[in-house]
Formats: sequence, structure tokens, C-alpha cells
Amino acid sequence: MRAGNLAGDGVSPSADLRSRRLARAPILALAIAGMVTGIAGGLARLGVELPVQAADLTLHHGPLMVSTLFGTVIGLERAVALGRGWGYLAPVLSGAAGLLLLGGMPVVLPVVLFVAASAVLLVNALAMLRLSPALHSAVLAGSCACWLAGNLLWLAGFPLGAAVPWWIGFLVLVITGERLELSRLLKPLPGRTPLFLAAGTLLLGGIALSALLYDGALAPVGPGLLAMAVWLGSFDVARRTVRQSGLTRYVAVCLLGGYAWLGVAGMLAMWGGAGDAPFLRDAALHAVFLGFVLTMVFAHAPIILPALLKVTVPYSPVFYAHIAMLHASLLLRILADVLQWTEMRACAGLGNAVAIVVFAALMLTAVRSGQAA
Amino acid sequence: MNWKRYLSPWTKGEAPGREPQGRPDGADATPSDPERGEVVREALRTVNDPEVGLNIVDLGLVYAIHATAEAVQADITLTTPTCPLGETVVENARAAIAQALPDLADVTVRLVWEPRWTPSMMSDHARGQLGW
Repeated sequence: MRAGNLAGDGVSPSADLRSRRLARAPILALAIAGMVTGIAGGLARLGVELPVQAADLTLHHGPLMVSTLFGTVIGLERAVALGRGWGYLAPVLSGAAGLLLLGGMPVVLPVVLFVAASAVLLVNALAMLRLSPALHSAVLAGSCACWLAGNLLWLAGFPLGAAVPWWIGFLVLVITGERLELSRLLKPLPGRTPLFLAAGTLLLGGIALSALLYDGALAPVGPGLLAMAVWLGSFDVARRTVRQSGLTRYVAVCLLGGYAWLGVAGMLAMWGGAGDAPFLRDAALHAVFLGFVLTMVFAHAPIILPALLKVTVPYSPVFYAHIAMLHASLLLRILADVLQWTEMRACAGLGNAVAIVVFAALMLTAVRSGQAA
Repeated sequence: MNWKRYLSPWTKGEAPGREPQGRPDGADATPSDPERGEVVREALRTVNDPEVGLNIVDLGLVYAIHATAEAVQADITLTTPTCPLGETVVENARAAIAQALPDLADVTVRLVWEPRWTPSMMSDHARGQLGW
């Protein structure tokens, strides 16, 4: 048998492993800094008065949330999976790019770092594809290529909106690639692979159409998002594991909720049309990024935090609190968007932020109780 | 590489490349003690995949165990190398073995990728839980 290149190749728990985990904490801190400032920018954009001057942050809300928060967390997770030092370059670069944005540097500098981060992540994914030549590995590589494509469009001077469909492709495909892999645990139902390929093709085609012909309008992306949501709801392992208990059930409930939001996002994107409909665009984007992507983060944090930081996160039913708050405040936000009710949308946005703060507080509390035990 | 290589695991019912050997590479020549091996296997049943709610033995992730009076070596895998939980699973497996055999000084757990894991390696219990 061939031993892998990951940790644990016959060595005892070592100082090397501990130091690697210690080195991950500052990278995660960069992602958290991106999240905090990204949320501040988002709230300022909604008209919420903040104690700090956040005018510049409104411009950077999207890149901070997508590329600095999600990009860095995904880059870190992929680097851990690869188990090689150079893999960490991706999250370091995307985290540092966030700092440059916040520092008021000329935007081209952070954009170059985002491009470099996505290129390193793509090389990581291609290395994985070589190690594990399978459809899900190819989907992960495709997701990284989407992130790179979006960042290159931004670097080339296209409006940020043109990059957004590619960023959606990055996050949706990285998640669905992982779910595709886990779906193998279930008895294969007829159509699993062809329908996944059809949904993926619809999504990628829509992204290309949107970015290249419609200045980033989301309508062409909608059918692909809806198709992916239907595929996930039909074939994901969460359909079985939701019958279990404890953490397994919590994860499954989050996942199924996230898939519903992905479907809602697809419908909102189509409803918004190819024209200028800022409220519906806000609704569709946040259904994807909060309803789907952030829900996946909430779901997997109790599993992935121990892998990244060597901490214990004991499950507690109170974890349902932050997921319920996120989904309730998101529903309110989408209703406010549909009604074009700006005050209500600001309140809902604040609710989204509070859900994230509650999530962070509950994870910290769980980690501390894990240490005490 | 051609496209069939990527799709065949999904379209042709996960035909395994070959079966796990049952004996870790590099294990010493001393014959494995079956009773001790069973203690190790039971210990590894306490290591769960939290997302699926099943242990790594039932999931077919334990490829080989070699247990003697002085040392234990276990080879385990993951369903895919793209999973970031390798370090954690290895550490949990090592801790579970150390807890079951506290007098043992030499516990080695290796992460291996060949043969590639397929659903056919899962136990009947796991397959039943997952609707097979």
C-alpha cells in the first residue's frame, strides 16, 4: 500500500503537527478580520449607522466576504487536505489581500493577490485531481478555475459585478463537489451522475453567459442554481443522515436548509431578469452566500474546527439557535427586498450579522467547554 | 487520462481496484495476535465520521491491523484524499488504540490511499444505514 502525504504517515503526534496547527490560527484570523470588516461594510451599505467610519468598506463588502472570508477558509481547508506547505500560500494570499483592501492600498494590489491565491488553489486542486482522478476532484478543480476567472475579470478592469457569477460558481461548485463525493455512500439512484453533469453544465453555461454578455446579471445563473439545488435535495447523503441524532442530525438539517436556499436563490435570480433590479439582486446574492454558503460553514464548523486547530467542539442542541436566526433573518431580508422596503432590509441585515456573532460566540463557548472537559 | 476514468466510479457501481491486503506494509515479521487485533478493531469502532454518524470500521476505512505484544500498526484510509480530516482521524484512531491498550508504547497509524476506497468496502450494517 502507498502511504499518503498527509499527516500521520506512521509518526507519533509531533511538535511539527502542533506547530502546523498553530500556524493555521493566524490564517483563520485573517479570514475572521475579512468577515468582521465585510459585515461592517454590508451593514453600512444597508444604511445601518456604525460607531466607526465604514464608507470605504461598503465598496469592499463583496470581495471581503467572498474572497477573504470564504476564499481563505476554503484555501486553508484545501491546504490541510493536501498536507504540503505550499498549499498554505493560497489562504495567506487571500487573507493578505483583504488586509490590503482595508489598508486603502490601490485596488490593483489586492486584486493581484486574489488572482495569485486562486491560481495556487487551482494548482492544489489539480494536484488532488492527479492523486484522486475522479469526477468530484474535477469539480473541485473547476470551482477553483471559476474563482480565478472571476478574479482575472476584476484585474482586467471589468466591473466587479462581472466577477460575481464566477464567484458564485466557485463557492457552489466547491460545495457540490464535496457533496458529490459523499453521495457515493448512498445506494446509487438512477440518473445521479448524468443529472449532476447536466446541472453543472447549466450552471457553468449560465455563469459564462452572465459574465460575458449580461454584465454580471444573475438571470442566466438562476436555472443552474435551481438545478443544483434539486440535485442536492435528491441525491445528498443528508436525506438519510437527518434520521440520526446529535451532531450528525444537526449537520443534515443545516445542509437540507441550505439546499432549499440555493433553490430560492435560483428562482430569485431568474425573477430578477437580466435588467437592473438591485433589490432582487440583493435577495438572490444573499440567498446564495448566506442561505447556502454560510449555512454550510455553520453546519461543518463543529467538524472542521477540530481538524484545523486541534480543538474539541462538543455538540450542543443550542447550535440550532444560530442557524435558526440566520434563516429567519434571511427570510425577512428577502421579503424586504421583494417589497423594496429599505428599513426592514436594514433590520434584517442586522439580524444576519447577529446570527453570525451568535454562531461565533457559541463555537467559542463550545471550544472552551471542550478544553475544560 | 480519459473522461471514462473520472466517471466510471459513478456509472459502473464502484468497481474496486483491489481489496485491502489485511497486513500493513512495513509491519514487522512477528505474526499478528488475532485477539489483540480484535481489541484494536473494537477500539477503532469508537472513531466516528460525525457527518455520516458511522464508525470507520463499518465504513470500511480500516484496511489493515497488525498487533503484537509490543506494537500495533494500523492502516486506514478516507473516502477521498480531498477530505481535510485525515490528521484528525489518524489522531483519533491512535488515541482510541492507546486507550484500549494503555501498556503499549508503539502505536502507529498510517493514512494510505491504495487501494482506493469504494462503497463495497462498507459493512452490511453501514450499508443498511445508508439505504443499500
